[in-house]
Amino acid sequence: MKGVFLGIFAGLLFLSVVAWQIQPEADDAGKIPLVWVSDDNPARREQIALFNRLHPQYSLRLDPNNAGMEKVIVQSLAGVGPDLFDCYDGFQLSAYVKSGIAWDVTEPLAAAGIHPEKDVWPAVFPNILHEGRVYGFPTNTSVNALWINKDLFDAAGVPYPQGPWSWEEFLPLAKRLTRKDEKGRWQHFGFFCDWYNWPQFVIQWGGQIYSDDGTRCVIDSPEAIAGVQFLHDLIYKHHVMPNPAEEATMASQGGWGTGTMALFGAGKAAMALGGRWWLCMLREYEGLRLGAVACPFGPVKVYRGYGRATLINARSPRREHALEFLKYEAAKPYNDLVNHQADALAPVIRFCYTPEYLHDPEYPEEDYNAVWRDVMKYGVPDQVSPFINGQRASRILNKQLDLVRQDQKPVADALRTAAREINAEIQKTLERDPSLRRRYEELTGGNRR
Amino acid sequence: MKKLFSRRRRRELVVALGFLLPNFTGFLVFTIGPVLFSLVVSFSNWNLQRTVPFQWIGLANFRELLHSQEFWLYFINTGYLMLGMPLAIGGSLVLAILLSQNLRGIVVYRTLFYLPTFTSGVALMILWKALYNPDFGAINAVINGILTHLHLRELLGLFGLGDVTAPQWLLSTRNLLGVHVEEVRLTASQWGIGARDAIILMGIWTAIGGNNMLLYLAGITNIPQDLFEAAQLDGAGRWAMFRHVTWPQLAPTTFFIVVMSFIGGLQGGFEQARVMTGGGPAGTTTTLSYHIYTKAFEEFQIGYASAISWILFAIIFVVTLVNWKFGSKELSY
Repeated sequence: MKGVFLGIFAGLLFLSVVAWQIQPEADDAGKIPLVWVSDDNPARREQIALFNRLHPQYSLRLDPNNAGMEKVIVQSLAGVGPDLFDCYDGFQLSAYVKSGIAWDVTEPLAAAGIHPEKDVWPAVFPNILHEGRVYGFPTNTSVNALWINKDLFDAAGVPYPQGPWSWEEFLPLAKRLTRKDEKGRWQHFGFFCDWYNWPQFVIQWGGQIYSDDGTRCVIDSPEAIAGVQFLHDLIYKHHVMPNPAEEATMASQGGWGTGTMALFGAGKAAMALGGRWWLCMLREYEGLRLGAVACPFGPVKVYRGYGRATLINARSPRREHALEFLKYEAAKPYNDLVNHQADALAPVIRFCYTPEYLHDPEYPEEDYNAVWRDVMKYGVPDQVSPFINGQRASRILNKQLDLVRQDQKPVADALRTAAREINAEIQKTLERDPSLRRRYEELTGGNRR
Repeated sequence: MKKLFSRRRRRELVVALGFLLPNFTGFLVFTIGPVLFSLVVSFSNWNLQRTVPFQWIGLANFRELLHSQEFWLYFINTGYLMLGMPLAIGGSLVLAILLSQNLRGIVVYRTLFYLPTFTSGVALMILWKALYNPDFGAINAVINGILTHLHLRELLGLFGLGDVTAPQWLLSTRNLLGVHVEEVRLTASQWGIGARDAIILMGIWTAIGGNNMLLYLAGITNIPQDLFEAAQLDGAGRWAMFRHVTWPQLAPTTFFIVVMSFIGGLQGGFEQARVMTGGGPAGTTTTLSYHIYTKAFEEFQIGYASAISWILFAIIFVVTLVNWKFGSKELSY
């Protein structure tokens, strides 16, 4: 028996040596490897290929399997994190900074002549700026506008809208463009809007999620309630937008976006609220005649802005090399590529004011690029509070807004509950975190609210 | 004593320990170690964010979570999802009895019924998510077809139920018991079929042909044939044979399955929440295991999440003890 075990052990050892000897040599031998945790899509792969071409000393590789803030933080703290990773909003940046994962690149970028506060669109500031320090560079950015399906407008004999316009002007148009067939089934809706865009309605009605200093949730203000009520009414009162059951027809497409985009591409809505990044997918729909117009405004003329940034893992042994990628994101080739791909809008403002951006020779029918650029100045990023975990706040808000969306709870009740729970959670956070407590007390003059 | 420590015995002991050591080391490092670590951590405020200084806070985490309405709502969700257990176990038994028959091609049937168990859980959940789609999912297509072609809507209309529609499944907070979404109570307004019921239904489908069926099949195969022959000689019919021979003989198997199902049920719901619902709508499919995940890895409160884990362990331990105390009395074989 002993002989059998020894024989198996020797056999396995031999096979391991053989496997080690015959393993293929890596293509990137002699290059410095860099890993970027991001989503996997053709645009990202092209961006990586361009970087590798312009920087032959590096081998940048995409790792889509470890995306997600929790994975990045846990892996980085354990010493097996990526070199570069994405940051989607101000809360994520704050979490990365507080976890010691995000590398402060203020000085290294300044030394390279890159000043994000001046160069990039403000809509993406929360993703890179934390307490006056720079922690990354934007990958892209976007402000919502309205996509229009020209065929549905033409079929209904409705002229294409011209901005700027208000929601009052929008409503009769959306109603005319909402159609049912003779059996009562929906042919197409006048408007689609992903429910997660509810903050746009809050800010357009003059509301805020948090007070200016972030110490208190004010989502229950009359303005915020009016904004969400209008969104609710688009579904249940005006019937120009699908309810959750109707929206369920929009199967998730994965990759670049949601079912709303897919259904809009399939001609099931005449107008849809979205970003320029929708084009990545909408270009795939043959024969779809698109237009874009600024989103209607409410009492306040602002739109929801957002974006993505790339951060460097402070614990990466190759962080100095990873810095080259941020410099690449600040340079013209990358920005031109992003604009050409329609992976939203290039992060650097001056690269969006080029003739190629306005009229891409490869896509001559896209004559609406100015719209996406012009709305950028009205872009307002989602508010975050330093006094509450953003995921926690989202969960509380989403629960209440789920109930609103399903018409199970009045808007005012839901938002009051959300504000109460978030404010209670802020107080709990202050109990736990003395540094936050000090800051809170400085802002509120020592008063717990 | 002399024999115990003979040279040969010592050598055998060393060899045995050599074989056990790799596994035991792994168990120690990757199971016992983390388990004890989580117990220690549950008495702390450990947060992955550096701004919160580490502190020992005694039982504060346990006190906080036991007073948290959220915890009890998720506990109710966990319990609710276990309501399908009796059906799943009963279904497994019926299926095992059917598959224990000496039929042609029985191996093919057994493989087919076991298919869901060795298929990727995530793939199955994505499939069920599509099936549950209220508008174009196959399930509602059948329900709507039945309602329309059998003119059931008109019929139900006579009783004032003409507005009956197919369920919204994963999109709905409604449930068969009318559990309230935000409070620990029942309410008529929540009565209906919703996400929780959809997950139960899928769970029953997966479990019926799963490991429980195999255990029952093995149990049935091990029942001595002479017991059936004796019963037959006494004139017992099929039902009497099941009731007086098969069922009692399967008692240890049933006991094992019930205990394991309770443990699995209390720990369950994570994959479904992660893949199918994100814990929604409005938190109705968030179970304790998903709650642990969100607290630890989304809100970074490792200490608090560890406390939930230990409370969950305590619940499972007590439930298993109760099962053992009352269930094992029935084991006469």
